[in-house]
Amino acid sequence: MLDQALKALKTFDWGADPQLVAAIDQAIVDTHGDVAARAVLEAKLATLLGEGVSRDAADYICRKLRVIGTSAAVPALSKLLVSAETSHMARFALDRIATPEAAAALRKALPVVDDTLKAGLVSSLGTMRDNASVESLAELLSSDDAMVVRAAAKALGAIGTSAAAKALTDSKSCPMVTDGLLACAEGLLTEGKKADAKAVYAKLADASQPEHVRLAAARGRLMCAAATS
Amino acid sequence: MARQSGSTRRDFIKSAGAATLAAPYVLTSNALGAGDIPPASDRIVVGGIGIGNMGQGDQVAFLRHPEVEYVAVCDVRTSVRNRSKRKVDAHNGNSDCQAYNDYREILERSDIDAVHVATPDHWHAIIVTDACRAGKDVYCQKPETLTLREGPMMIDAARRYARVVSGGSQRVLEDYRRIVDKCWGGQLGTIQEIAVTNLTQSKRCNLPAEPLDADIDWEMWLGPAPWAPYNAARCSGNYSTEGGSWRSYNDYSGGALTDWGAHHFGGALFAADVRELQPTEVIYGVGANGPHVTLRFSNGLLFHHNHPEMAHLQVKSDGNKKPAKAVPAYQGHGGIYGDFIECVKTRERPFRDIELAVNTMVVCHLSAAAYTLQRSLKWDEAAQEFPGDAEANRLLDRARREPWVL
Repeated sequence: MLDQALKALKTFDWGADPQLVAAIDQAIVDTHGDVAARAVLEAKLATLLGEGVSRDAADYICRKLRVIGTSAAVPALSKLLVSAETSHMARFALDRIATPEAAAALRKALPVVDDTLKAGLVSSLGTMRDNASVESLAELLSSDDAMVVRAAAKALGAIGTSAAAKALTDSKSCPMVTDGLLACAEGLLTEGKKADAKAVYAKLADASQPEHVRLAAARGRLMCAAATS
Repeated sequence: MARQSGSTRRDFIKSAGAATLAAPYVLTSNALGAGDIPPASDRIVVGGIGIGNMGQGDQVAFLRHPEVEYVAVCDVRTSVRNRSKRKVDAHNGNSDCQAYNDYREILERSDIDAVHVATPDHWHAIIVTDACRAGKDVYCQKPETLTLREGPMMIDAARRYARVVSGGSQRVLEDYRRIVDKCWGGQLGTIQEIAVTNLTQSKRCNLPAEPLDADIDWEMWLGPAPWAPYNAARCSGNYSTEGGSWRSYNDYSGGALTDWGAHHFGGALFAADVRELQPTEVIYGVGANGPHVTLRFSNGLLFHHNHPEMAHLQVKSDGNKKPAKAVPAYQGHGGIYGDFIECVKTRERPFRDIELAVNTMVVCHLSAAAYTLQRSLKWDEAAQEFPGDAEANRLLDRARREPWVL
């Protein structure tokens, strides 16, 4: 049944009966806890990605690798990152695999894709809280593309280190940069870096900021005051 | 002071001081309020994002409130937004309502205080968090979230910017009132178990490509969801969860488990008085009627979905009578919509505050995870993850299609 389903994937496309590949879904459930069986299934799915399957079949495979993929699947998935047709679904799997190899694949693809795909790669690096990306993300804060800037600000906010906060502080203001700064400040406060958090909130309390941002900064200052040193 | 065209309640408050130094203004009756029309200082300027089946209903409800000044509509279908604009213009007696395809344009307007959101579920989290970042209060239709990770992000955005964010299940207080009164009345004692039945999950959509309908901005409809070819049944807003509408498909919805789960689970959780809690584990089983789950809460409550022996909304209790508790009510008047509007004015948390709405959605999503993996799961509310369960944690969220970021 499983072999039949894997064979069916080679010609699977939109409009095909989903039952043709149902055995793969069940195999994933059945192999929970069986590392060896999972590795075999993962390898078969990853191999299919390199065999010119349809966009729909690649979509399906990436959804399965989202659940069972490991670093072993990263080489096959990384090849899909540079194509507009497959980049998102490759990330669908990679940002759940979230190993150093997965993050490295995303970073490697950054310089070779257009701004639309770049925003996607950046958002996945943020999801993975990839500290090694901070410098690259900081550079992208000055991109001409608003969505790239937004993704980079969001990612730096998620990473939340002092270096991420500095990059956001030094960049041109926009709602997502502000939000990233606030997220950084919350992260810094959680780590006990009260002085760093207070500095961020002080900047955002400026009268030039919109009312809701000043409210956020005031809330942050209260949290700093309440936090034990 | 004359009310300037497009001025908001907040602008009015800010300008009040400056106006006392300026040349005399003409006071219009509209500025001070006339008949049923509140003065400008009490009006809430509202825009609607997603004006399909549910969005139309929300819009009608908001238009009924005299404190609401409705100024903008947004929908990715041209015919829908044009029809919606006509309705608002007819209500307002002018042609001033602006119609947009892109929700970001509504959020950029400084005159808008609040938005109501009734897009398909896969857009909710992005629009709600963006709205909070833009300083707007939000009424968001249920189900409020598509993944477990979205809820905390929406709550964080609401709290960070001190925004009023209401979820949208009016049925929680209205449809389940009888059982709520029974449970809160004290006669039953402590509720030990409660059951909900018959809600199915969504599944992957593999519908074939069809010629694109020129009425819809397909790229914008898909937004953060994976790309797929246009098919009318894929994006239809009809209420089916068994195929033939976006509610049936897991890229856009959790299926009946979330679409009706928001109501049924929400009502049951409210009746059992655990709406402020999240479960600690979900126990998977297979009975004569198929799979079922039980969610355990820290206070001992067992919440069943598709229990083989318990009927829908059946309750088991210890029978030890206890004092009745007052049932929380909506603020303001006009049901859940009036509650939201009142809270926008008072800055109180609404009846269906986003945190309470998310707690219901957690029950839906935990159930879905157990059904998908076909096993029991533990849940850590503080960490918002499945402790020590890397496989289950992969289901917490999903990568969004570029360039969309949550």
